[in-house]
Amino acid sequence: MTSTEDLIRQQAIEWALSSQEADFAGWDGLVRWLEADPRHTDAYDRAMAAGNVIPDLAAIAAPVLPQPANDEDRAAPRSSSRRGWMYGAIAASVLAIVAVPVWQMRPQPYAVATAIGETESIQLADGSRILLNGGTLITLDRRDIRFARLESGEALFEVRHNASDPFVVETGDVRLVDAGTAFNVIRNDTSLDVAVSEGVVIVNPERENVQLPAGRRARVDNVTDQVTVSAIPIDQVGSWRSGQLSFADTPLADVAAALERGLGARIAVAPAISARPFSGVIQIRGRGAQAVASIAPVLGTRAVRRGDGWELIGSDANP
Amino acid sequence: MSRQGLEAVLIAEREPLLRFLRARGAGDAAEDVLQDLWLRVSALDSGPIADPRGYLFRAANNVMHDRYRSAQRARQRDSDWLAVQGGAGEASDAPLPDRHLIARAALDEAEAMLRAEGERVLQIFRLFRIEGIGQRQIAQDLGLSLSAVEKDLQKAYRALIHWREKQDAD
Repeated sequence: MTSTEDLIRQQAIEWALSSQEADFAGWDGLVRWLEADPRHTDAYDRAMAAGNVIPDLAAIAAPVLPQPANDEDRAAPRSSSRRGWMYGAIAASVLAIVAVPVWQMRPQPYAVATAIGETESIQLADGSRILLNGGTLITLDRRDIRFARLESGEALFEVRHNASDPFVVETGDVRLVDAGTAFNVIRNDTSLDVAVSEGVVIVNPERENVQLPAGRRARVDNVTDQVTVSAIPIDQVGSWRSGQLSFADTPLADVAAALERGLGARIAVAPAISARPFSGVIQIRGRGAQAVASIAPVLGTRAVRRGDGWELIGSDANP
Repeated sequence: MSRQGLEAVLIAEREPLLRFLRARGAGDAAEDVLQDLWLRVSALDSGPIADPRGYLFRAANNVMHDRYRSAQRARQRDSDWLAVQGGAGEASDAPLPDRHLIARAALDEAEAMLRAEGERVLQIFRLFRIEGIGQRQIAQDLGLSLSAVEKDLQKAYRALIHWREKQDAD
């Protein structure tokens, strides 16, 4: 339904919004997205420019009013002057429902990233553990250890359950709330994939409120937010840890992303076959970037060299 | 981190920054842009910087977006000039009071358009872009989920992109 242009525009808006945050930590993810398609940088500039329309006009229309938020200033360390008097003056009118903003509760985010082909284990103070697959960027909060934001890539969460303080994982605009749990999350360009091996995960409790028990997985489309639930054998949840990747009707684009994370090689898929589904198990333990060529035929594809990476093309296509 | 520290990070992050600049469309000019950035950073008399790498990427991003804006303005001037030749245009060198009135009218139109998406959409957009408050803080202040704030901002951005494209087409 959705055209490529709409998809690019939507992704550009998401990147513009997140990269305008003062504590944005996803520059490497942004680089990868920009490189994925030459149209992306223009779409990103358009989205950034859209965000400036009203501040720019306001500056010309009423130069005596406060200056618009400036990205360069926002990169500077937080200071009380940043908010200044005008926050009180203007926000008081629009924030009538807020009694006391709790500034001291301000989040203290930090980012953990892995390169493709490398993994990382994060131990949290409450006994929970997060295992990062390759090519993954996650933001955690020193003030709130029960929160994680998966910016890109794949992570396995083994969460110490606390009913009064559930662990929350955000990815894109989807919220996952644990109810006693081990679960695996993959954030791709097109979708979010959650698979549960223990306990229950609730997807978007405020909206769809989909309950995922162990042995179920949900795929959430990044653009339409449509949730598709299917079954998954529990021993296959997070099986990337053992070097075994299993797929069930998975689009080749997502298969390539999984191989990329595990093998440490850049792998693109020709657009003509990127949506083609693949089912099966691929063993990548102990294998490196050079394994792409021998794995490609299993996927019904052929791997051709593209720069420092690979592109999978249909086995009958011309490179 | 001190100024020397920032320069050290710039040296260490030279390749990733160049890669970012190229991905942002700098092409062969990436080295020049990085040189500009180096000069800016060297001339900077700032306090300590908490996240020097993020700071440099943001600065590089701002340079590229400024270039985009300049190119847009140049194109705008060209089309204004054509419009003036045709006798129907409004030149951007209109007297200052007129520019204020024109901007005021455009601002009213843009805000009315966001208000049409919902009063909250305009409110959240203003908090984010004019007040410079982060999305998480906005969500907390307004008692909303972060995803609700993101959704509203996405609506605002979509509408504003559409609005600009329509204006370009006119």
